Amino acid sequence: MELTPRPIEPAKKPRKWLPIILLTLVGLGGVVIVTQFLRSAIDYYCNVDEIGVRSGCEETTRLRVQGTVEQNSLQKIGSNTSFVMTFNNKSINVVYSGDPGGIFQECISVVAHGRMIDGTFESNRIEVKHSNEYAEKNADRIESSGSAACSQAQG
Amino acid sequence: MKDAGFIFGSYIVTLGAILMFAVSTLRRAKKSAQSVTDKDKTWL
Amino acid sequence: MSQVSQETSPTGTRATQAIGVLALAVMAWVVASGLLLTPQDVVQGESVRIMYVHVPSAWIAYLAFVFTAVASAGWLISKKHSMGFDRFAGASAEVGVMFMAITLITGSLWGRLTWGEFWQWDPRLTTTAFLFVTYIGYLAVRRLEGSVEQRARRSAVVALLAVLEIPLVHFSVVLWRSLHQGATVLNPNGDVKMDDLMLFTLFSGVVGFTLVFIWLVLHRQRTMLLVDVADNQGLDLAIVARRAEGPAN
Repeated sequence: MELTPRPIEPAKKPRKWLPIILLTLVGLGGVVIVTQFLRSAIDYYCNVDEIGVRSGCEETTRLRVQGTVEQNSLQKIGSNTSFVMTFNNKSINVVYSGDPGGIFQECISVVAHGRMIDGTFESNRIEVKHSNEYAEKNADRIESSGSAACSQAQG
Repeated sequence: MKDAGFIFGSYIVTLGAILMFAVSTLRRAKKSAQSVTDKDKTWL
Repeated sequence: MSQVSQETSPTGTRATQAIGVLALAVMAWVVASGLLLTPQDVVQGESVRIMYVHVPSAWIAYLAFVFTAVASAGWLISKKHSMGFDRFAGASAEVGVMFMAITLITGSLWGRLTWGEFWQWDPRLTTTAFLFVTYIGYLAVRRLEGSVEQRARRSAVVALLAVLEIPLVHFSVVLWRSLHQGATVLNPNGDVKMDDLMLFTLFSGVVGFTLVFIWLVLHRQRTMLLVDVADNQGLDLAIVARRAEGPAN
């Protein structure tokens, strides 16, 4: 019987690189998200009544402003859209370069991105901030009120 | 239906992800079960 | 639990079969009602239909991550350190990550239709993305080298820390100014402003997704057990094979 010990080959255990790479990527992803978060998320917008009053809402900088589109204020002027945005009894005129589209309408809350120029907020991006209320679409109610969001806001 | 692509797309993504997860789990189970006796299948 | 055909599914039992059939029935109702029966929203129109898959998937992702934390605590606290706890934690986290991915994708589709944007770094979206990345990290920790006990210990600690992010995600719309709407059902004043069929379909979605979650976690954790046993058997068989070589030489 051959009892010579077998030559021992060094055990080659492949190192699991995938989890380490994945963890590194996760760490980097976390850093990117947190930095983005700290930069822009905590104060996502200023309310209309805070322009020029609250820190970070200076008229000289580019702002995101939140307010409600005033009823009967919506106008199309050439390729621009003009409306009055109100919050806490304070209003500003907004001119948006284009057609916001989507569910944009009067009486709905929006966040407009842009700058205050000569007392008018010139915006190049509008985001609709819809409420947490959901109701069945009712054709009669819409026709009589003129705006779905206004009819919902008025109950 | 307005915006049908977005709406149907969200349902397809949801159901498709669940289906893919279920199928991959069952396939992996079948593969691993070949070498495992019923004694180790504690749920039986 | 009695056995079902092991040919079709080695991880199946009569109970999982029943849960599966029930889940399919409820999900079929949710799809039919969500796409065809529920009315359009007065402001959002047809796009509200995305809510019936987006909201339940977010809630079930939260549930999965809480379950992962509870099972992880179970592993740490129990004297025997039963690996069943660890497998349940891992399976639940995997299912949770899948539901979180669904939440992010369906949310961005819904966001495009309502806000006009697929993505914005607002508090809710940012914290949700952070939660998603955290649990991918948790799954990566589970795949690090080491024994099953090391795997269980490391991942249990991560799970107990990661679950603390969930209140931050949920209350981000209250704590900070967010583009995302506030909670409709789980709002602090308890006043749910949603039409009846919409609300019923939403709750059906929660029930359906919960059944899917239970079915997936049961199968996944049993699969994990099979993989662990097969790995151990592979080692045992290698030792037996090596020993068997001895007399032949």
